[in-house]
Amino acid sequence: MKAHTVKGLDPDATLAGNLERIVATRLDELCSFAPRALDPARMKALHDMRIAAKRLRYILEVAAEPCFGPYATTAIKRTKDLQDLLGELHDCDVQLPRVRALQDELRAADALEARARAADAPDLDPTLASGTPHAESWRGLETLCIYVEARRGLLFERFLELWRDLEREGFRARLRYAISERPESPTPLSPSDNGDHASAALPSTIGSDG
Amino acid sequence: MAKARDIPGLHADLSYREAAARTVAVRAQELFEHAEGVLDTSDIERVHDMRVASRRLRAVLEIYEPCFPRKAWRDAVNDVKALADALGERRDPDVHLAQLEEFAAAVKDADRPGVEVFAERVRSEQDAGNEALAAALATIEETDLRGRLAALSAVASPENDPRRSFGLQRPVTQ
Repeated sequence: MKAHTVKGLDPDATLAGNLERIVATRLDELCSFAPRALDPARMKALHDMRIAAKRLRYILEVAAEPCFGPYATTAIKRTKDLQDLLGELHDCDVQLPRVRALQDELRAADALEARARAADAPDLDPTLASGTPHAESWRGLETLCIYVEARRGLLFERFLELWRDLEREGFRARLRYAISERPESPTPLSPSDNGDHASAALPSTIGSDG
Repeated sequence: MAKARDIPGLHADLSYREAAARTVAVRAQELFEHAEGVLDTSDIERVHDMRVASRRLRAVLEIYEPCFPRKAWRDAVNDVKALADALGERRDPDVHLAQLEEFAAAVKDADRPGVEVFAERVRSEQDAGNEALAAALATIEETDLRGRLAALSAVASPENDPRRSFGLQRPVTQ
């Protein structure tokens, strides 16, 4: 999923003003997947939502503390929880077809073996289908399939729960508000600071600078 | 997982350009600090830490895109992405194998041969991933990604002449 372009970024404007624009766009991107990703069959939407959560998390890691209000720091944890859960779900979605493909491959090889055992017989003796080379492997692979499928179901329920919690908590609105806030000014300069942080000592501003 | 290092002097009123210079310098340093021992498959956390560092670096390069010269930025992002992909090729089987070992230890004996057949495939992928990672590490060395990132960071700094281009160009590799 390609990230939406953020318009109006200005290298000579403040960090907070620019990052506010980017976070707002990434937050909208993340939330735009909500109706689709709440359907367990929409694997791509879930995967895209994970990418969107990752993008939002990484920018918040850079921006939350120096640029925004307190909820932005809380949002890093929420976004990480979401990203981790969606990552686990994605792993199940990737793993399941691979295990099934291996099962199919081994089953086909065993069918060929059973056929070869029959040689020129007019029909296949059922006993020739037992004790094939990969017979032992199927069972473990079947158990693995059941495990991955069941785990996927459980993780999806946890995802729905987490998303509902985020909605109840007002995640989107609170993060929107937090990115319009600016943190308290840092401690006034010490004499040895050489004015390096002069601009940080300016009164904090509320809202975007453009 | 290693926690991202704080960026010294980063604050809301700093210019976007200056923040870009400072952030990329720190995140690039973190990436190369995690490079040691990543090809050792007996310690899978090294790859994980370097992968996270590569993702963080890529993310900040994307966040600060408008602050850098276009061509040099694109080359650096592409190279960091290629490295991150190679790290992922190694990391994914690492995680997968650890999960399969845990699964095999928990299930009945009769289920283990099947899990082992699957794990064998994943081990081959881990070997292939390690080879891909070794090649990616060699490429970033040959093309001096570290030096180019340092130059990129320097050129974004308002103290420098924005037309400065020394060290930004990606060397051509075979």
